[in-house]
Amino acid sequence: MSLFFIVIRQLAEFQAMASSKKVITREEWEKRLSNVKVRKEDMNKLVMNFLVTEGYVEAAEKFRLESGTEPDIDLATITDRMAVKKAVQTGNVEDAIEKVNDLNPEILDTNPQLFFHLQQQRLIELIRNGKVEEALEFAQEELAPRGEENQGFLEELEKTVALLAFEDVTNCPVGDLLDISQRLKTASEVNAAILTSQSHEKDPKLPSLLKMLIWAQNQLDEKATYPRITDLSTASLEDPGV
Amino acid sequence: MPTSATSNHPSRPEDLIGRLNSPHTPYEAKLKALRDLKNQIIGNRTKKLAFLKLGAVPSVVSILSSAAAAQGGGGDNREFYESVLIQSAAAIGSFACGLDAGVKAVLDAGAFPLLLSLISHLNEKVADAGARSLKLIYQSKRAPKYDFLQQKNMEFLLSLLNSKNENVTGLGANIITHSCQTTAEQQALSEAGVIKRLVSLLGGSINQKDASLESLAAMVKENPEVSSKFMAPENGRALNVVIELMKDKHPRTRLLACMCLISIRNTSTSYLQDSGIKNTLVLVLLELLDDAGPVGDEAPFVLSSLITEKEDMQKIAFNANLIEKLCEHLNAGSYQAKRLQGIFLVLGDLCSKLECCRDRVLDLQVLNFVTEALAHDSAEVRTAACNFLKNVSRSVKNLSAGQFMNEAVAVPLIQLLCDASTSVQIAALGAISNVVVDFMAHKSVFVQCGGVKQLVQLSKSMESAIRVNAVWALRNLTFLVSYRCKEEILLELTSATLISLINDPEPSVQGQALALVRNLVDGTLNSINYVFGEDGAVLHAIARQLRSSSKVEVQIQGMYTLSNVASGNEIHKEAVMNQLLPQAGNDAEKTLVKFLQSTDSRLRTATLWALVNLTFPGSPGACRRVTELRNAGIITQLKNMVNDHCLDVKLRARMALGQLMIFGDSSS
Repeated sequence: MSLFFIVIRQLAEFQAMASSKKVITREEWEKRLSNVKVRKEDMNKLVMNFLVTEGYVEAAEKFRLESGTEPDIDLATITDRMAVKKAVQTGNVEDAIEKVNDLNPEILDTNPQLFFHLQQQRLIELIRNGKVEEALEFAQEELAPRGEENQGFLEELEKTVALLAFEDVTNCPVGDLLDISQRLKTASEVNAAILTSQSHEKDPKLPSLLKMLIWAQNQLDEKATYPRITDLSTASLEDPGV
Repeated sequence: MPTSATSNHPSRPEDLIGRLNSPHTPYEAKLKALRDLKNQIIGNRTKKLAFLKLGAVPSVVSILSSAAAAQGGGGDNREFYESVLIQSAAAIGSFACGLDAGVKAVLDAGAFPLLLSLISHLNEKVADAGARSLKLIYQSKRAPKYDFLQQKNMEFLLSLLNSKNENVTGLGANIITHSCQTTAEQQALSEAGVIKRLVSLLGGSINQKDASLESLAAMVKENPEVSSKFMAPENGRALNVVIELMKDKHPRTRLLACMCLISIRNTSTSYLQDSGIKNTLVLVLLELLDDAGPVGDEAPFVLSSLITEKEDMQKIAFNANLIEKLCEHLNAGSYQAKRLQGIFLVLGDLCSKLECCRDRVLDLQVLNFVTEALAHDSAEVRTAACNFLKNVSRSVKNLSAGQFMNEAVAVPLIQLLCDASTSVQIAALGAISNVVVDFMAHKSVFVQCGGVKQLVQLSKSMESAIRVNAVWALRNLTFLVSYRCKEEILLELTSATLISLINDPEPSVQGQALALVRNLVDGTLNSINYVFGEDGAVLHAIARQLRSSSKVEVQIQGMYTLSNVASGNEIHKEAVMNQLLPQAGNDAEKTLVKFLQSTDSRLRTATLWALVNLTFPGSPGACRRVTELRNAGIITQLKNMVNDHCLDVKLRARMALGQLMIFGDSSS
């Protein structure tokens, strides 16, 4: 058989496969969707879960009053948690540590990694503010003993102290420690630890639902053509391109 | 640098304590100092130790005590006193967190009853602070044992478990985990209905689930009765709930669910035996080994409780590539003490029975890590490494290939014989005992490294456990060893020591010492001469012990030793004959008959072997010895044994009788 014929045959097979996909029209799709029942209370709970986990305390309070959905956590603790998060985000790490300890002293006492990261962030802030002597003293007094207890901490500490060695920290290999993203990383670690200590999931449920939707669509794409949701922010159905 | 203290600067510990202790410090300032202290020590072990040294704990406890007394009087300052209670309880809790010295200081300062009184405080935050601190105290081994058997204590415990406050229920569960140790305590808790309450907590928050699983594990541990109560229908689907929790999202919950199920499993041979659950337990724990935190540190210990002494579980673990996984961790260099101890513990369990495991472990070069582990700072790691070596060297195939008898293993092992910890010494002796069974060529390595000297030293230890293990190691070392090696061993050991070991107050040491002589005299005629030095003092000691001991193990070893001696030349045989049938008394004769009539077939066999060797027809004096034995009534005895139910005895009895008959049955 010549090469030409092999190519032709394969093309024909592809065509057959493509045409074997089921096509579902928008009308049919919407009809099917309307048969799926979702309870209002479940929706409300998911929204409340999102507000609570992300720390929108006032919105949560309003939503509680308007929808009658009870949050699964004391709303007052959200305010405290957000205050901690904000303190880290604005570089007031010492303040954040004191607030966590007021909230629940066990968190930092039983979570060496988090405690180290907060202390490391404190050191980073000292360096950022040009307090070289104080930074060195702090590293020696507070962080070095943690490094002795844990090899991983020691390596991170060395990286952080290296910031002091560079004239132009913005262009040095460890410069990203001074980046705002480092603060956010630390803040989110504290946030997660506080949530865990309150026996609460550290991530909201809605994003996982949306992830599952995308995964399910990808699975379905192999078998059918249907109105899919591509833009999650509008959740609008797109006409199947036949 | 400016001299004035900035807010960023923490106060020096000495200053802080000064402010706490001074009667002139205003109350507000004291509260602030208390809070400073708390914030300095949380998460910071170094600071905790520094403050402990300065006597901070009694100061804080006395502040807690006076605040507790003052707020009882009521008044406007209620809020202030409550803050003091919260801050001081939190500081005390932090001192007790992860630091045994801290727990001791807290208990010594009398904080316990004060904290207990806070639990029922109307202000929930105060109650929380008290419960948290007590919970942390109960996580330490040093915490006082709680007596459940007292009625009022049990009632109090139930009130804790029934509390709405999560920290208080957690405290209740921690008390059970810490203090429930005896069968009676498990029984009492079970009868008080604690299981039901704990089962209901399994449906609570993450913290409650974890606390409940841990307590349940403590309650069912080695207690079939409580175990069956937990499985009973009145607890509904409790077991299924725990099984489901093995797949929980949180690693700690998964670990504790496994621990609880293993506790139940180990109480009976019929619980949780289906292959589904066996495989799941192994796979879940295998995955938890990868956890970088405390869960990963504890996982090997739980795994060990699952597989230890259980060949079927070891096989499943082997097939799930557990050994490969553990090696990955060794290769990654996770050398924290607890992790390393756990890894060697599990490797030791795996190698205790299955040859395939031993082969795999050796293929993956685990021995390369052993040298380092044997010299580790932590005594637990050293012990675990020794036990691993002991088990892996049970492989005769690898032993004879000389896998273990090299300097990388022998030198650190011998060094451990001088270890400061008795349990390390005993573990090292156990490993040496197995490793030295090695064949001929490699034994000299051990002798060259100074091992014999150390073993002989330890055979004179005050600790009988060390003595018995040291003699055991020497016994194995002399097994099938070259004549030159025996010479060196005996030179180091001396006849005097050998005699004192044969006469040791501990029967277990006597038995090992006799077995050591048995190996020494096994082989050439020259070897037999060892017991003839110094007017045959060693031989006398053996025979004396043989006559006086009531322990069958000692009698067996002694008899085999004499039997080995009797395999020698005419002088040797005569000497044994004189020990067994001395002219003077009749007691000895009775000994021989008594042994032949023993209910232990091993002793009967050993005695028959001696008779066979004594009456070997080729030897010149055999005829005379036969006559003597006949006069002592041995033939009659032997005739009763030709149909012994033990095959070994039957054969040897016929063999001995056959030899005796050669010289004619002149019994008439």
